Amino acid sequence: MTQSIPALAAPVYSDRVVRNFALASVLWGVVGMLVGVVIAAQLTWPELNFGISWFSYGRLRPLHTNAVIFAFGGCALFASSYYVVQRTCQVSLFAEKLAMFTFWGWQAVIVAAAISLPMGYTQGKEYAELEWPIDILITIVWVAYAVVFFGTIGIRKVRHIYVANWFFGAYILAIALLHIVNSAAIPAGFMKSYSAYAGVQDAMVQWWYGHNAVGFLLTAGFLGMMYYFIPKQAERPVYSYRLSIVHFWALIFTYMWAGPHHLHYTALPDWAQSVGMVFSLVLLAPSWGGMINGVMTLSGAWHKLRDDPILKFLIVALSFYGMATFEGPMMSVKTVNALSHYTDWTIGHVHAGALGWVGLISMGTLYYLVPRMFGQTRMYSVRAIELHFWIATVGIVLYIAAMWIAGVMQGLMWRAVNPDGTLVYSFVESVKATFPFYVVRLVGGLLYLSGMLIMSWNVVKTALNGRMVSAPIPSAVMA
Amino acid sequence: MSFQRINPPMQFAAAAPAPARNAGLPEDDEAALGDSTRWFIDDAGVRLAESVFALQGMYCAACSGVIEAALQALPGVMRVEVNAASRRAQVRWNPSQVRLSQMIAAVEAAGYRALPAQHEALRVALQREARQALWRLFVAGFCMMQVMMLVTPAYVAAPGEIAPDLEALLRWAAWVLSLPVLLFSAGPFFTGAWHALRRRRMGMDVPVALGIAITFIAGTAVTFDPSGPFGREVYLDSMTMFITFLLAGRWLESRARARSTEALDELLQRMPDSVERIDDDGRGETVLASRLRVGDRVRVALGQAFPGDGELVAGNTQVDEAMLSGESRPVERGVGEAVVGGTVNVGMPVLVRLSCVGEGTRYRQIVDLVQRALAERPQMLRTADRLAGPFLWGVLVMAALAAAVWSVIDPSRALWVAVSVLIVTCPCALSLAAPAALLSAAGALARRGVLVQRLDALETLARTDTACLDKTGTLTQDRLVLAHIGIHEGASRGVMLSRAASLAALSRHPLSRALTQALPAPQGVWCAVREVAGQGIQARDTQGRLWQLGSPAWVGVQASAGRPIVAFAQVAGRPEDVAIFEFDEALRADAGQALQQLHAQGVEVRLLSGDSQASVDVVARRLNISQAQGAATPEGKLAALGALQAEGHCVLMVGDGVNDGPVLARADVSFALAHGSALAQQRSDFIVLGSRLAEVPATRALAQRTVSVMRQNLLWALLYNAACVPLALAGLLPPWAAGAGMAVSSLVVVLNALRLSR
Amino acid sequence: MESLYLLLPLSVLLVLALIGVFGWAVNAGQFDDLEREGWRVLEEDRGNTAGAACAPFDPDQA
Repeated sequence: MTQSIPALAAPVYSDRVVRNFALASVLWGVVGMLVGVVIAAQLTWPELNFGISWFSYGRLRPLHTNAVIFAFGGCALFASSYYVVQRTCQVSLFAEKLAMFTFWGWQAVIVAAAISLPMGYTQGKEYAELEWPIDILITIVWVAYAVVFFGTIGIRKVRHIYVANWFFGAYILAIALLHIVNSAAIPAGFMKSYSAYAGVQDAMVQWWYGHNAVGFLLTAGFLGMMYYFIPKQAERPVYSYRLSIVHFWALIFTYMWAGPHHLHYTALPDWAQSVGMVFSLVLLAPSWGGMINGVMTLSGAWHKLRDDPILKFLIVALSFYGMATFEGPMMSVKTVNALSHYTDWTIGHVHAGALGWVGLISMGTLYYLVPRMFGQTRMYSVRAIELHFWIATVGIVLYIAAMWIAGVMQGLMWRAVNPDGTLVYSFVESVKATFPFYVVRLVGGLLYLSGMLIMSWNVVKTALNGRMVSAPIPSAVMA
Repeated sequence: MSFQRINPPMQFAAAAPAPARNAGLPEDDEAALGDSTRWFIDDAGVRLAESVFALQGMYCAACSGVIEAALQALPGVMRVEVNAASRRAQVRWNPSQVRLSQMIAAVEAAGYRALPAQHEALRVALQREARQALWRLFVAGFCMMQVMMLVTPAYVAAPGEIAPDLEALLRWAAWVLSLPVLLFSAGPFFTGAWHALRRRRMGMDVPVALGIAITFIAGTAVTFDPSGPFGREVYLDSMTMFITFLLAGRWLESRARARSTEALDELLQRMPDSVERIDDDGRGETVLASRLRVGDRVRVALGQAFPGDGELVAGNTQVDEAMLSGESRPVERGVGEAVVGGTVNVGMPVLVRLSCVGEGTRYRQIVDLVQRALAERPQMLRTADRLAGPFLWGVLVMAALAAAVWSVIDPSRALWVAVSVLIVTCPCALSLAAPAALLSAAGALARRGVLVQRLDALETLARTDTACLDKTGTLTQDRLVLAHIGIHEGASRGVMLSRAASLAALSRHPLSRALTQALPAPQGVWCAVREVAGQGIQARDTQGRLWQLGSPAWVGVQASAGRPIVAFAQVAGRPEDVAIFEFDEALRADAGQALQQLHAQGVEVRLLSGDSQASVDVVARRLNISQAQGAATPEGKLAALGALQAEGHCVLMVGDGVNDGPVLARADVSFALAHGSALAQQRSDFIVLGSRLAEVPATRALAQRTVSVMRQNLLWALLYNAACVPLALAGLLPPWAAGAGMAVSSLVVVLNALRLSR
Repeated sequence: MESLYLLLPLSVLLVLALIGVFGWAVNAGQFDDLEREGWRVLEEDRGNTAGAACAPFDPDQA
């Protein structure tokens, strides 16, 4: 493997694409959360729909979910998976140009979503609303992503594949499978299609996809992030590396069957609902195993939490992960679900996981990555990180507390019956009663958005103050 | 106790030897690296080597990076991978750019030791076996989870709620996923059962294999023909569950075994890597030990191990034969005397003509013995094995009877009742009862520094009522302690002591060294120093007076026998110019406490030693041992032991020397101390790593707790069967409940056993 | 529940594939030296020197 150029520079990591994704993640985070604030306001004051079709709640909501999950979360996952796989394999990205294609391709997907969703083009399936041409683009980008990621592992210089890469690999393959199966549709026009499945079958496939998307994208993918960046930031190895391997495999084999818990008391057969319930409960164990593993990494170094706001983000994210993975199984119990289904409690649960776990771990990770992308070791302002942390945390607490109260209240109101069997409350009465909680939720969301704006400012200052440097690959051996 | 002459540094016949020709590995020496290195040609046509090194001195998983960096820094080293768990480094290197000695030196500079790994083939084979076991366990567990998911609908749905073809799909999926568990994971049970049956014995694997097979057949029948005689019951979840449990038990067992193997790894890596061979012209050349031939003359430096058996050609020296005898006191070897490969030269450089290298050496024989011991599997479960045969027949008869009776009363239930009987009596609890307890105890012992070589020795240890201990090296620390100084009143104590110390400093005899250590600052200048073999050392002081330091008889002083005594006196001097030094053997710090604990446990303690009766009596008195036998040859020790056993005693033996080997093998239970000879360690059931005697009574106490836990477990297994079998016979126990009961009972057994690991 | 005719065979194939992946991993020695691998991600920061970070090594640590 000799080259004709006599003097070669030391090989460097391919961090340009990491930088791009990291910056994009911050940008889309602001956009996605802004849309979230808008729709929260619209729920509180429906007048804010203004009668404009592309500004209406119904169209903006999927824009919000797609933006925060796939644009904000997705770019953060791309950035961290590309960063981690290179450093743990001690090799630069396989097919770097293909990696750059995934960046531009993914941005194209996001922009296409940002245009098509407000215009009303939708397949009507949650987290899979994008119409079939965009679905095809997603597939192409995703295949390229898999090629880059697994290709890099294939050319690795370190024999062992670090546990984070197992989580990333699983999330990439799972999303590929889920996306292809769930998005199967018959086109009926440029931006119109019909699902390959019908009725309750479609619902089953949709929630098999939906819950596994949560499990593999929002959980496994971000756990990969966690298993690398917490040890790096805390400067200690994972508490029990063996447990992390067990955690991975246990999660993999339990997640597949939890989907039906989204369909309790629907047309889905009872026995399918029961299976979903049982295995959602079983999921508690591996999830908490992972949480404990991550938190205990700080064992013996708890004092670092006091001074290091990035660690605060990372560890508090894990606490919210623990909370959400406890709440979820509880809610999948049919009796509990009978109260919570269709209420705002579900929204509270989602946002505990999304704002608390996904949001905070991504922010912590980005605060680690961004300076290094610009040749620095710290962000422009560490105090701003601290401020962001506290604002975000207060925002999360306000949000989920409001939604819990609203949700339980709604559930109780809807099921309250008079002795003669008639409902005590009309639906609109429950809506009125929810109003104050929507206000509180809006405040929580605004706080969270402000935190994100502080982060953007910090990121811009860091980028302007630094320059992109190439990180050399350590002890590269010229074969 | 005799003094021997110690010569001044020797000279070679030729002048000072020429510098070694090359410090590293000559190119044609590749075969010499043995099975630690693989040679190959890479794609570019370059000849490369891939070697495995055993690393010593690693205490830290993070240290792996240090060693990797140290080796990586050498040009010609292409790839390094250090495995901290097995303490091996795998290195790919280019022999035209770097030498073996350079790599070893680089690791030493980093603070560790590297040796070409011995017995790689064995280690790799054991590792492959461990990996297979883990894979089997994973497949069983993973598929068990999936099968359970697939059969859950059948349990939770009301009859008729699930469409028949969907039900069939679920059953088929469960059946497909049970296949890997049956064919791959459960493989060892079937091969074990087959081997047992071929030898016409009833091993534990037979009932297990039978249970698995019948359950699978029943499950298959249900899958193919749900309206058939097996009814609508589910069997496959029970099958996968108990295979998983059984494999988990076996996996824990093999890991415990692997741990004690690793601990003995250091013992196996002890050969010198390169040796200086002297050719006929007196020139030296460094070669690898494995390249030596019979008849070669080698120069063995101070501190180096002899590379093979041989005869001293030039030079007299002291040799540390601890490897053979456990004695750390060096023995004298002169020209013409034999030396043993693997023992260490501690005196001065000598020239040795090799008479035996490689396979034939005593060292190699010892290593082979130890290696065989490592590859041997412990025989477990003697009690449970005896029960297995009649138990299995009983179960088969009961199941057959149940089927027969039920086929008359209600044919649709006949077969699943029979299957339930088989599943519920699955000997999981029974087969786990003893191993779980033994392994838990072994783990607890390993953490305390006691290696268990034969697990079933724990059962025997609980029954022992007599303990025989060796003296030298076991009860004593094998060094001498100055016990009493006798000085005439007329003499100046300080002057005499410092004078004696300064004369003693000129001799390397162990008694002299002990004296030098014990006495204060030596003062004295001597000339005309002469050491007399077997007697002592004499010299003239600055005033020309002749002094002698040595055995009382030679010095001409009266002294009592019984313990080592050194006399110091001026020849033909005044009576005041005499000093007597009496030595005691140093007892192990915890010897007294250990013996007290044994007494408290009701064990009778005896001393059996090859040393003189007088010195044995001294120690016996100090430790309060009533029965002490000295001057015992190995045959004598065996006879004494045999007599005790003939009287019906169950004897435990604690020893360390090679002469203890036969007795350690013959005793009911044996302990070897870690510093002891390889042979003693190979033959004993327990090895105490810190050489702490107090571990002996502690281990015995743990053994008794282990036996009681084993009995509890067996009792539980029997009670559980006694309760559940009637229920199954009565048709009240569907297979899923039988499976759950079996799982719970196994869990109870394992949890009970885990109490021992505290 | 016709969707299960798709989802069930899919998950069976997936399980078989996963068993194969695990088998590859265990035989390729991926699980041989776990504690060390936990430390490896920190090694490049420490410049491969153990220094004061050397902790007593317990091969049995989970």
